[in-house]
Amino acid sequence: MTVVQVSAGWVPLAAVLLLVVATAAASLDGALAARADGQQARSGLVLPVAGTVRLFRQRRRATVAADTPLRWAGLAGLPTAALLMVAVVPLGRWTVADLAVGVVWFNAVDVLLWAAVWLAGWGPNSLHPLVGGYRFLAQALSYELPLMFALTAPAVAAGSLRLGDVVTAQQHLWFVVWMPVAFLVFCAAVLAFSAWGPFGAAVGTTTAGGVLAEASGVDRWLVRTGRYALLTAGAAFAATAFLGGGHGPLLPAWLWLLAKTAVLLAVLVLLGRQLPLIRPERLAAPAWLVVLPLTLLQLLAVSLVVVVRT
Amino acid sequence: MDLTARLATRRAAVLLAEVPGWAVARCAVEREVRARGWRLADSPADADVLAVCGRPGARLGTAVDLVWDQLPGPRARVDVDDPAGAAPALAAAAAHLADLAAQRRDAQARPAEPARGRPAIEAPPDGDDDEGDDMDMPMPGGIPLAGSGDDDQLADPDRLDLDVLHVPLGPVLPRWPAGLLLHTTLQGDLVVAARAEVLEPAGEPPRPGTLHGTPAGRWDAVATLLALTGRADGAAAAARLRDAALTGDVPRRDAERLAHRLRRSRLLRWSLRGLGTLPEGDAADRLEHWLTGADRARPTTLDQVADLVTGLDLAAVRLVVASLDLDTADRVHVPVESGT
Repeated sequence: MTVVQVSAGWVPLAAVLLLVVATAAASLDGALAARADGQQARSGLVLPVAGTVRLFRQRRRATVAADTPLRWAGLAGLPTAALLMVAVVPLGRWTVADLAVGVVWFNAVDVLLWAAVWLAGWGPNSLHPLVGGYRFLAQALSYELPLMFALTAPAVAAGSLRLGDVVTAQQHLWFVVWMPVAFLVFCAAVLAFSAWGPFGAAVGTTTAGGVLAEASGVDRWLVRTGRYALLTAGAAFAATAFLGGGHGPLLPAWLWLLAKTAVLLAVLVLLGRQLPLIRPERLAAPAWLVVLPLTLLQLLAVSLVVVVRT
Repeated sequence: MDLTARLATRRAAVLLAEVPGWAVARCAVEREVRARGWRLADSPADADVLAVCGRPGARLGTAVDLVWDQLPGPRARVDVDDPAGAAPALAAAAAHLADLAAQRRDAQARPAEPARGRPAIEAPPDGDDDEGDDMDMPMPGGIPLAGSGDDDQLADPDRLDLDVLHVPLGPVLPRWPAGLLLHTTLQGDLVVAARAEVLEPAGEPPRPGTLHGTPAGRWDAVATLLALTGRADGAAAAARLRDAALTGDVPRRDAERLAHRLRRSRLLRWSLRGLGTLPEGDAADRLEHWLTGADRARPTTLDQVADLVTGLDLAAVRLVVASLDLDTADRVHVPVESGT
């Protein structure tokens, strides 16, 4: 299966697809929330639409001496980063940007989120958002290096940083089979850069909503949508780099990728509701002393296999 | 009601302002919020409805009014005095949120400028006018910059000498003891000094004013702590058990299932371990006590609160305060200092 680059005119369609899948994730989360509250689960399915209408109808809140340009850069940065991430992910045979450094591109964009989330917290000139922004940075110190090394494993195995080559290299065996640690670490990092579930300290109730504490209306919508979109982009990338991308019997390649993304996304949403928040200061020790060495060992094992095979 | 308004109020967010002594009314509002498919708000910016549970005294009332000014709008404010009033109050709020003409009038009558509270500490009295140093200090938006605190500055273990900020936590803060006002002095996000007081209600609260010492009170504490640890589903389950306990018997099977699930979560225990350590144990132990239904040896006092939170970061402070399950309805109102 060769991946072809489609013209830039398809980018809006990619954005719409990203939004649709992210909305589906939000629907699932809404259904789970409704069930937890003792209501019919399907009454929660419409919540993403209802929430969007509610926020578009709401006034935007102003704060004293806010840093408006930087605040906007931060808020818009989340959905933008998600779109930049999916740009390199091949949907079956098509990709919007067939970059020779696709894996590095994804990593660079996820580092961009450090700035985006922090700026969203800095902008309102208010205590809780700023603390939320710094909590995201503190958490990033723990997840970023394991994420980078986890990303390296499929690149080493495929001998290329191009995502199309990474997919081709999984023709016979998905990478998740022989690099499970890298896969799990990557999934955890996706939760972390989306500020989701156990890694949601930046938007947690303990800081009155963190970077969201002063956001209302469109501002809040951008961050909410951005987080779901980031989760979606991360799941799509994991499906590509570890779960064989478009490879699969019978169904067309693009449908396989969507199906794998959807399943992984559903698992991530479920986990986010079930696990307690891990405070960033508690995360640092296990991340550096356990997860990082494990990821490096995984990388060593992958490298040895590659050397022996060639 | 047109489609837009109906969708927009489909999952409205309610900010609770509980007055000490009106816990039962607050629980009734929470139950009604759940029954309507609504949710509780995290902050004023997140809220459509401000539900004031009880009759606040002067200072608490001022704080509630300030919070009301911070709701973005469309917004509705309801006062709930007794549990039976919760359902009609929220129905009225839903109707008011959907009333376009009223919301437009409200929006036009509000100033475009953000609402301002009083400074957390009173400005020092003006001394000599010819003391010109202060004139050079930039004042963005009329607020003095956080500065190195001079007298306030305390020894920082990390030697960062961070700026000193005076920040009040409460009295209107979701998942926070009713009426508790915690004056904190922050360096970075670290609380270096704290003083706790409880703001008074206006008049005598109804009986029973408190849930403490009852099964409902224990499940209420569990729900609050779980919500702060980010376990949304567990918090909702605990809140449902609490409401069942208020109206009758706790369904045993549900209670056991939730307790079993929480006990099994090593991640939860690990995230609470070592927080707010008292002679009887820490936050994780107290959660275990609530789950087993064992009463603790003695209630926590306000001076212990100020002591326990000093030296912690803001998020840990929230968890510690929730784990103490303070009974502010018995109105301990002697301010207690710590850390200075």
